[in-house]
Amino acid sequence: MIGKRRWGWLLGVVAIVAGLAMMAAAFSAAGTKSRTPSNPQAFPKLRAVLDTIDYLDPQQAYTGQSWWAMWNVYETLLTYQHVEKAAGYKLVPGLAQSLPTISKNGKVYHFKLRKGLKYSNGKKVLASDFKWAIKREFLSTGQGVGFYTDIAGATAYAAHPTAGGNISGIITNNAKRTITIKLAKPRGDFLTILALIFAAPVPGSTGPAIQNGTIPSTGPYKFKSYDPNHGFVMVRNKYFKPTKYIPRGNPNEVDVSLVGDADAATQMVINGQADYSNGAISPDRIANAKSKGRLILRANANTYYFWMNINEPPFNKLKVRQAVNYAIDRSKMQTLIWGGLGQPTQNVLPPTYPSYRKLKLYTHNLTKAKQLIDQAGAKGAKVTVWARQVSDSVDSATYYTSVLNSIGLNASLTTLPKATYYTTIGNVATHAQTGWARWLEDYPHPLDWFDVLLNGNRITDQDNNNYAWYTNKKTNAEIEALKKAPILTPAVNAKWATVEKQIMQQAPWAPWSNRVFPEFFNKSIPAKCIHVQRLYGIDLARLCK
Amino acid sequence: MTAFVIRRLIGMVLVLFAITVLTFLIFFATPGVDPARQFAGRNPDPTTVAAVRHQFGLDRPLPVRYALMMKRLFISRDLVSYGNQALEVVPAIRAATPVTLSLVTGAAVLWIVFSILTGVLAVVFKGTLVDPLLMILALIGISMPVFWLGEVANLITLDRWHDTFLFSWVPPNGYVPLTQNPWQWFLHLVIPWLTLSVLYIGFYARVLRADLLEVQSEDFVRTARAKGLSPERVMLRHMLRNSMITFVSLFGLDFGVLVGGGALLTEVVFGLPGVGKLTYDSLQTLDLPVIMATVIYGAFFITIMSAVVDVIYARLDPRIRPT
Amino acid sequence: MAEFAFGPEEEVVLAPGEAAQQIAGKSPWRLAGRRLLRDRVALGALALFVLIVVVCFSAPVYAHHVAHTVVFGSNLNGTTKVNGKTVQVIQQGGGKLGIGENPIGPTWQTNYFIGSDSQGRDVMARVLYGGRASLAIGVGSAAICCLLATALALMAGFFRGATDSVLSRVMDLIWAFPVYLLAISLSTVLLSQTKPIVNPASLWIPTLIIAVVYIPYVYRPVRGQVLSTREKEYVEAAVSQGASNLRLMFNEITPNILSTVIVLFPLMIATTILTESALSFLGIGVQSPHASWGTIIQDGQDLLYTRPWVAIAPGIMIVLTVLSLNVLGDGVRDALDPRAKVRATKE
Repeated sequence: MIGKRRWGWLLGVVAIVAGLAMMAAAFSAAGTKSRTPSNPQAFPKLRAVLDTIDYLDPQQAYTGQSWWAMWNVYETLLTYQHVEKAAGYKLVPGLAQSLPTISKNGKVYHFKLRKGLKYSNGKKVLASDFKWAIKREFLSTGQGVGFYTDIAGATAYAAHPTAGGNISGIITNNAKRTITIKLAKPRGDFLTILALIFAAPVPGSTGPAIQNGTIPSTGPYKFKSYDPNHGFVMVRNKYFKPTKYIPRGNPNEVDVSLVGDADAATQMVINGQADYSNGAISPDRIANAKSKGRLILRANANTYYFWMNINEPPFNKLKVRQAVNYAIDRSKMQTLIWGGLGQPTQNVLPPTYPSYRKLKLYTHNLTKAKQLIDQAGAKGAKVTVWARQVSDSVDSATYYTSVLNSIGLNASLTTLPKATYYTTIGNVATHAQTGWARWLEDYPHPLDWFDVLLNGNRITDQDNNNYAWYTNKKTNAEIEALKKAPILTPAVNAKWATVEKQIMQQAPWAPWSNRVFPEFFNKSIPAKCIHVQRLYGIDLARLCK
Repeated sequence: MTAFVIRRLIGMVLVLFAITVLTFLIFFATPGVDPARQFAGRNPDPTTVAAVRHQFGLDRPLPVRYALMMKRLFISRDLVSYGNQALEVVPAIRAATPVTLSLVTGAAVLWIVFSILTGVLAVVFKGTLVDPLLMILALIGISMPVFWLGEVANLITLDRWHDTFLFSWVPPNGYVPLTQNPWQWFLHLVIPWLTLSVLYIGFYARVLRADLLEVQSEDFVRTARAKGLSPERVMLRHMLRNSMITFVSLFGLDFGVLVGGGALLTEVVFGLPGVGKLTYDSLQTLDLPVIMATVIYGAFFITIMSAVVDVIYARLDPRIRPT
Repeated sequence: MAEFAFGPEEEVVLAPGEAAQQIAGKSPWRLAGRRLLRDRVALGALALFVLIVVVCFSAPVYAHHVAHTVVFGSNLNGTTKVNGKTVQVIQQGGGKLGIGENPIGPTWQTNYFIGSDSQGRDVMARVLYGGRASLAIGVGSAAICCLLATALALMAGFFRGATDSVLSRVMDLIWAFPVYLLAISLSTVLLSQTKPIVNPASLWIPTLIIAVVYIPYVYRPVRGQVLSTREKEYVEAAVSQGASNLRLMFNEITPNILSTVIVLFPLMIATTILTESALSFLGIGVQSPHASWGTIIQDGQDLLYTRPWVAIAPGIMIVLTVLSLNVLGDGVRDALDPRAKVRATKE
C-alpha cells in the first residue's frame, strides 16, 4: 500500500532518539546523588523537610510543625528548657527575668521583663508589646483566643475587639518593664498558656493582618523568607543574647522545604538532598528508611482512644465499657495501625507527663470481656461505630468493630468525612454511641486533657469535646479544685494521677495508643548531636554535625 | 457567524453563573461544617464562636454571602481560604496553574505525537498483525485506571527497578518549577507525562484510525493516488488533514478539561501541587472558597473549549448547523 | 455531536440453499445479531465479562469453601497454613522495636492466594467481594444513566421548544461541571449528613451520583438521534395517520434510537466502573464496611512497596473488565452498523 519502508524508517528513528534521551537522562542524573561533604567544625546550613505548616505568625500558628520552627524564633515570657526527658517539660523564664510571683488567690501574676531585650530589627522589646500580642490574638481571631478569655476584661474585649480598646486585666509599665495579669478566675494551667507561642510579644506597630515570616523576632533565629509553596529560611538573629535556658543555636541557617509526600521527603534525606525530615513514613517503608539513614523515634503527647457515650445504651452500663477495655488487644493494634510506631496505653494522659502513672487496669482478656457483656445483658445490642475518613482512623475502627462483634455486640462501622467528623460526634442529636478520637496536646498541663475532654461541667450540646458525655460528681469536683492550683507540684501531680485512675475505672474511654513519630536524619548527622525536646521535637538549636 | 459566537459566549457566562450558584448551594446543604468553629480553635466558648461568626460575616443570609464571595473572588480578588486565613485563593490558583499546565501540555504533546503515529501506522499496516496489535494496546491503554497506572509506575520506577540504569534517574514525587531548574522540572514530569498520556494515546489512536479508514475510501484520496502522489504525501496532506476534524474537536475538549483540573488523580498520585490537587485538598476539608474558585476555573475551561470547538467545527464543516 | 444512522442495507451473502428462502426484509436487529455472533472477538469479550461477573458474584462461595475466611472483619491474630506449617497472618517487622509490619505475602495456595492486607484479610476473597460492589455500581449506574438520559432526550427531542431548551440547558450545566468535581462534591455532601436518609454506607449513593454525572454524555447523542429521526418520512406518515404523541414516541422513534443506546451501554459501564474506582480510591465512593476494587487499591497504597499485590490485583481486574466491555462495545457497534461513527466516551 503506502510505502511501508518509509514508515518503518520513521519508527526506527523515533525509537533510537527516545533511547538516547533516556540514556542521557540516566547518566547525567547520576550527578544528583552526590552528597555535600560534612564539616565537623561548623554547621552552616541545616536542610530540613516538613510536610506542611499553617502560619509563621505567632498569634496564628497552631500546628506542631509550625511551632517546631517558631519556638526558636519567637520567645515568650516563660518557655521550656532545651533538654531531653522530663526536664524539658519544666517551665523556665524566657523573656521574663524569673518565674512570676502569683497572688495567694491565684488570680494575679506579676512579671518583669529582662533588661536590654531587642527584636531582630534592633528595636526594644517593651512590656506593652505583650499586651499588644494578646489584643492582636483577638483582633486577628487567632485559634488561641479560647485560651486567654479568662483574663479579666478579655471576654468584653473579644466581643468588639479594636486596636485602641483595652483589656483591663493586663497592666504594663514600660519604664519599669513590668507586666501584671489579673484573671477573672484562677486557672491552674495559666503559666503553660502564657508559654504558648500565641502570647509571644510582637512590636506594637504590627498590624492585626496575618504576617507570615515578617514579624521581628526575639529568639535565636529570625525568618528570612517564606514561600508558601516551597518553604522558608531561618537565619541568625544578631540581636539575640543567649541565656541560661535559651542557647544560641548551632546551625547558621535553617532551610526548610515543604514537601507533602512523606516518602518523597524521606527519599530526599536518603539521597543527601536534605539533612532531616519528620514526615510520617508509611509502616511498610520504615525498615527501608532505617537502614539508609538515622531513624529516631520521638514520643509525642497524644492519646488515641475510643470513646463510649455513657448516655447511650449499651454503653450506659459500666460492665460493657469495661468489657471493651478488656477486649481490645492494644499491642497488636500498634503493629496494625502504626507498623509498631506506638505505645499501648490505658491512660488518659500520655507518658510525657510528670503526673503519669501507668495504669494496668485492663489486661487483654477476651473471655472476661464476653462474660461481662453477658452479665450486663448487652448481648446482640446494636452498635454504630464512628470513624473519620482518614486511613488510620478507618483501620483502627475496623479492628474495633470486629472486636465488638467478637464479644457479642452487633457492631457496624460508619465513616464521615474529615471536615465534619468532630462536629457530628460532638452534637448531642447524633446520639453517637462509640467511635474513634484522638487528642494532641495543646500545652503540657493535665487541664488541657481533663478539663476539656472529661469534665462534666463543660459538656455542651454542640461542638462538645467530651465525646463520652462523661460526667461524675466526684471527678468533676476534683478537676474544678485542681484548676485552682497554679503550679504543678508533686502533690498536685499525685492528685491528677488519682483522678485519672478514678476516671479510667469508670471506663468512659478505651485508650489504645500513644503514637510515636519518626524523625529521620541523614547518616552524616551523628547520634550524639540529636536531642529530643519533649514538647517541640528535635532541638533545632542543639543539632550539630 | 458573529451572532453565533456571541450567543455561545453569553450562554457560557450563564452556565458559569449557574454553576457557581449550584456549587454554593451544594455545600451549604452540608450540616456539620462550621468555619467559625474551625477558626475559633479547639475549645472556645460559645460567645467567642459567635463573635468569630459575626466577624467573618457567616451569620448573614445566604444570597448576601454568595454575593460577597463572588465579589471577593472576581472584583477585589482577596478571597481567603476557610482552612488557612493567610491563603488567598486567587494567588493559590495562580501558583498551581503552571504545575497543571506543565503536566497537561507535556502529556498532550506526547499523546498527540504517539496517537497520530499509532493511528497512522495501524492504517498503513492494516491487514498485517501490526494493526490489531496496536489497537489492542490502545484498548488496554483506555482500560487502565490512571491512578492505578500511576501507582504501578511509582512502584517500578521508585522502588523495584529504581537501582537499575533504567530508572535511577527518576526523582522522588514532587514538582520543581521550570524557572528554578529546567532539568529537574523535566525529570520530575517524565513519568507523570507518560502515565497521563497512555489513556489518551489509546483513545485518540482509535478515533484517528477509524476516521482515516473512513476517509481512505473517499473519492479525493483515490484521485490523489491516481495523480501519482507519493503515499506519504497522500497520507499527510490529504488523508490526515481531513480526518483531523474529530480529532481536533475531541482534543480541544479533553485539553480544556485537563487544564481545568481534570488531571486530579495524576496530580494526587504523583504529588504535583497543581489545580487538581488543590481542588482535591479543598474538598477534603470542605474549604468552600477554594472549592468555589477551582470549580469555576474548571468549568470555565470546559465551556470555553467547548465553545471554541463548536466554532471551529462550524467553520470547517459548513454542513453543520450551529445549534 | 454523534451522528448515528443505519447505513445502506448490507449485502447479505446467501448460503447455497438459502436462496429459495430469501424473504424480503430481514429485520435489522436479526442482521445485527448475526453479525455479532460471527464476531468472535466480541463474543470472547462478552464471555470474559460474564465470567468475571459470575466469579465475583460467587465470592461468598470462594470465601467460605475455598479460602475459609471472612473478609469484613479484622483478622490481626489470625493464622493460616502454608505448606502444612501454621504461620501468623500479620508478622512483625524486624529490629528490636518490631518496627514495620508485614502481612503475609502471596502463598499461591487456596488460603491467602495473593496474600493478606494490613488488617489480615484474604486479598483474593476481598477482590471478589469488591468486584460485586464495583460491578453492581457500574452496571446499575450505567443502566440508570442510559434510561434517564434516553427518557429525557426523547422528551426534549420530541417536544422541542421550551422542554428542549430547559432540559438541554440543565444538561449543559451538568456537563460543564467538571465530572470528578461534581461527583466528589455530591458524594462529600451526601456522606456528611448527620441523620442520613440513606445509610452512608449504602451503595446507592455512588450509583446514583455516577449515573447523574454521566447523563449528559448519553443525552446528547440520543437527542441528536431523536431530532433526526423525527424528520424521517415514516414518522410523518404516522403523524398523518393520526398517531398520538405517545404512540409516535414509543413505536416510531424509540426503536431507532435504541441502537444508539445499545452501543453506548457497554461503553458507559466501562466508564462508570473506572469512575467508581477513582472515587473509591479518593475515599469518597464506596464506604466501609463495603469494599470495591477502588477501595482495595487504596488499601494497597500503604503496602505498595512490600506487598504490591494488594494494589495490583484489583487493578488487573478493572483492566480486564473494562477491556472486555470496550471490545464488546466495539463489536456491538460494528454489528449494528459497520460504518457508524460513534463518539465513544472514555474516562
